[in-house]
Amino acid sequence: MRRESGVFDVNYVQDMKIFRTKYHVIGMIALIAFFLSLPFFKNQFWLTFINSTAVTIIALQGLNILSGYCGQISIGHTAFMAVGAYSSTILAAQFGLPLWFCMIIGALCAGLIGILFGLPSLRVKGYYLALTTIAAQFIIIYLIKTPFPEITGGAIALQVPEFTLGGFKFETETHFYYLIITLLIMTTFFSKGVLRSKFGRAFIAIRDNDIAAEAMGINLYKYKLLAFFLGCFYAGFAGALWAAYARVISPDDFTLMNSIWQMGMLIIGGLGSTLGPFFGALFIKLLNEICLVAGPFISSIIPQIGAQISASLVEMSFGVAIILFLAFEPRGIAHRWEILKDSYRLWPFSY
Amino acid sequence: MQTFIQLFITGVTVGCIYGLIAVGFVLIYKSSQIFNFAQGEMVMVGAYLMWVVLGYFNMPVWLGMLVVFFVVSLAGYGLERFPLRQMIGQPVLATIMVTMGIAVFLRGLAILLWSEKIGIKFPAIITETTINIFGIPFSNVSFWSLVFVLFLVLALSWFFLYSRTGLHMRAAAENHQLAQSMGIRVTLAIAQSWAIAAIVSATGGFLLGYMRGIDFGLAEIGLIAMAAALVGGLESFKGAILGGVIMGVAEALTGGYIGHGLKEVIPYIIMVLVLIYKPYGLFGLEKIERV
Repeated sequence: MRRESGVFDVNYVQDMKIFRTKYHVIGMIALIAFFLSLPFFKNQFWLTFINSTAVTIIALQGLNILSGYCGQISIGHTAFMAVGAYSSTILAAQFGLPLWFCMIIGALCAGLIGILFGLPSLRVKGYYLALTTIAAQFIIIYLIKTPFPEITGGAIALQVPEFTLGGFKFETETHFYYLIITLLIMTTFFSKGVLRSKFGRAFIAIRDNDIAAEAMGINLYKYKLLAFFLGCFYAGFAGALWAAYARVISPDDFTLMNSIWQMGMLIIGGLGSTLGPFFGALFIKLLNEICLVAGPFISSIIPQIGAQISASLVEMSFGVAIILFLAFEPRGIAHRWEILKDSYRLWPFSY
Repeated sequence: MQTFIQLFITGVTVGCIYGLIAVGFVLIYKSSQIFNFAQGEMVMVGAYLMWVVLGYFNMPVWLGMLVVFFVVSLAGYGLERFPLRQMIGQPVLATIMVTMGIAVFLRGLAILLWSEKIGIKFPAIITETTINIFGIPFSNVSFWSLVFVLFLVLALSWFFLYSRTGLHMRAAAENHQLAQSMGIRVTLAIAQSWAIAAIVSATGGFLLGYMRGIDFGLAEIGLIAMAAALVGGLESFKGAILGGVIMGVAEALTGGYIGHGLKEVIPYIIMVLVLIYKPYGLFGLEKIERV
């Protein structure tokens, strides 16, 4: 990564800085101010869009820790979102605890169950681990659907209690917008902090070669399970947040397909990069919106093409996007963004 | 006892089809070390293609099968050229997601083409009767599909053991570089394995669709077949068939005695247990890893 001309790191503290120059700080403040001012434009569509995208980004950050940094492939990520969503809702509904507290407990539950399903990662990896996490997806959703329908609501939807914080009721899209954006900023800084600490370096070592990492003195059990805990904690938190925002959850919100979509978003955004989840979620969600607009348009031109054109376009464009990215830019949009920044900094020279 | 035997036989019949699809899966894994997560969607699309030729164009069964086999094997060749050739030597996650991308694409295609035809049935090919074998009533449809699957598996085994192409494919599966240096086109061998896997999946989709109707749920068979292949050990055809039978019997028994909910997850529970206690399956090769 190239630096701006004239910016040198003369000690380690400087080397680890997130905000390197005052332009970084100004840019970040401007970006946050822009997002905080968005509700004043009163555009309900974009608020809803950003809310759902931001919740997805929080879940993707967990997946990024687990798969992008620690290299433990997980294709059952939405199941852990379901664990967070359901456990927080059930706690709040059955015991009358405040929902914000239940959200944290729900995220912890998801993390602990993540450790449980991370246990096979100590013996198997690669494809086998991917299949174990797929199994986790099916088993968790089965446990939600079938054995205790009077508590979990079974296959039908479950109502979520109102979200209040210090006597303030979160009701409108705008209220949730501020809540979600604040939480997104917090989770981003937390994950960035974890990943540039000792833990993050251990994760990267395990991803690159776990046997070599073990030989270097990294405790594989501890760090793999820690990665599972963190990744699933994020997922559970995102799930609980989604439950509080959507006010109604059902097992159909957390299918294997959604897990595949999340992994695809992360790959398109860029694995192992803080910006990856942002780019990936935005790219795919925007692509979806475009398909939803283009679908009726296409079917108005060619009427015999059928009513499901939008749904089919959404799926097909996602499949093609994943394949094209993996074939031509496996490091995702985040890598392109780095290249763009580099060439901007070096302009007008090309080296 | 009567119900047990009946459930068991249903399980074996369905399990053999799972095993057949698992063979397609093992084939691709052996030749290119790629887990084909699109197997289920290939089954589903194959079943719909069979329906198109049999139910829409009213072809006789043998001709329809030939046409479908030709089309899906062409598709298999095409898939090898792009995007799977680009995936040789890529990390595991990339190969997983590429096949998942294919799966999602095929699903979108199926929604586009056949979304109004969920739950359709094939036109009847044989009249359904019950035959008694050792005093156990047995639907003749499942009997003939069992026979057909066994025939296909034997034919595939013969193909791999004795034909020249099969020999090439086995060599390519063993070691890409070594095979290449002996004058075998590895990319062609991989393409052939994709084509055969596509044919096998289409056949499995046809048989299963004939028994229980065609819908998008057929795509979930792919994951069950994958679990079956894992239980059997990824390198072994007989392991794949045996794993498929185990999955089919377990499904039928839990569905019959416990409930429908558990039936859907029992293959995955078995798979996780096998992965924890015997990670390389019943007949798989244990890998020793070095840095």
